[in-house]
Amino acid sequence: MALRRNCRLLIEPPASATGDIAFNLIVFFLVCASVQPDSGRKQTIPKAEQTEQKDQQTDTISVELTRQAVFLDGDPVTPSDFGPRIKAKLDARSNPAEKVVVVKSKPDTPYNHWIAVTSQIEDAGGIVTLQLEEEQTVTVP
Amino acid sequence: MAMGDIAFNLLIFFVILARAQDDSHLQWTPAKASNLENAGHSMVSVVVDNENKLYLNGQEIGVAQLASAIEDQLGDAPAGERTVLLKVHHEAIAQRFEPVIEAVSEAGGDLVHIVDDVKKK
Repeated sequence: MALRRNCRLLIEPPASATGDIAFNLIVFFLVCASVQPDSGRKQTIPKAEQTEQKDQQTDTISVELTRQAVFLDGDPVTPSDFGPRIKAKLDARSNPAEKVVVVKSKPDTPYNHWIAVTSQIEDAGGIVTLQLEEEQTVTVP
Repeated sequence: MAMGDIAFNLLIFFVILARAQDDSHLQWTPAKASNLENAGHSMVSVVVDNENKLYLNGQEIGVAQLASAIEDQLGDAPAGERTVLLKVHHEAIAQRFEPVIEAVSEAGGDLVHIVDDVKKK
């Protein structure tokens, strides 16, 4: 008995499967898009501790942030000058404990301003520490 | 053939469902910064959205409960595996986001600010 040889090398997939294939492709790309890795900036903030406000004897660098301005040790600084100036201050200190920079923000300071300034402090080798004001309720008898 | 498709779809369905910390439904715009690095895998994500609401792993939470909730999520994870992703809307104000940063620090989390690269348009 002679067997018929199948010479059809190209076989089209059944048309009914195209819907399934399209659906699987959509799901595949959806999953790929949702698991894209995030990129960001690591920040090490020392653990919170409550300290009484006292006269600053040590010459810790302080940065004060308002809605748009930056003050370095009380002096107003333009955003373009801030990076080089904080770097110069930090480079003059060799001891890591002296590289702590206390950042105090006004309540209305926006996050994009805050992250831009703290990024520059860290890039210059500083250690960011936040100074938060604690709300206290005092009951008068 | 169809059995394979069904199994595959069920698998993907449960994989998506298992992502309990999904916060992709929240609306926020990242701030821009330079020198970014890959945030890696994290068990905890904290979001301050464009309505100033606070979320932990996609669930709304108050700032007073945040530190203890993060501690619960991190458990006894060793150092290096205690990453907390912080996603703050670029216009959120310090009064809102600073207590959140303090809470992450209090819970012993390794803070990573999720931001966009300043070079990216």
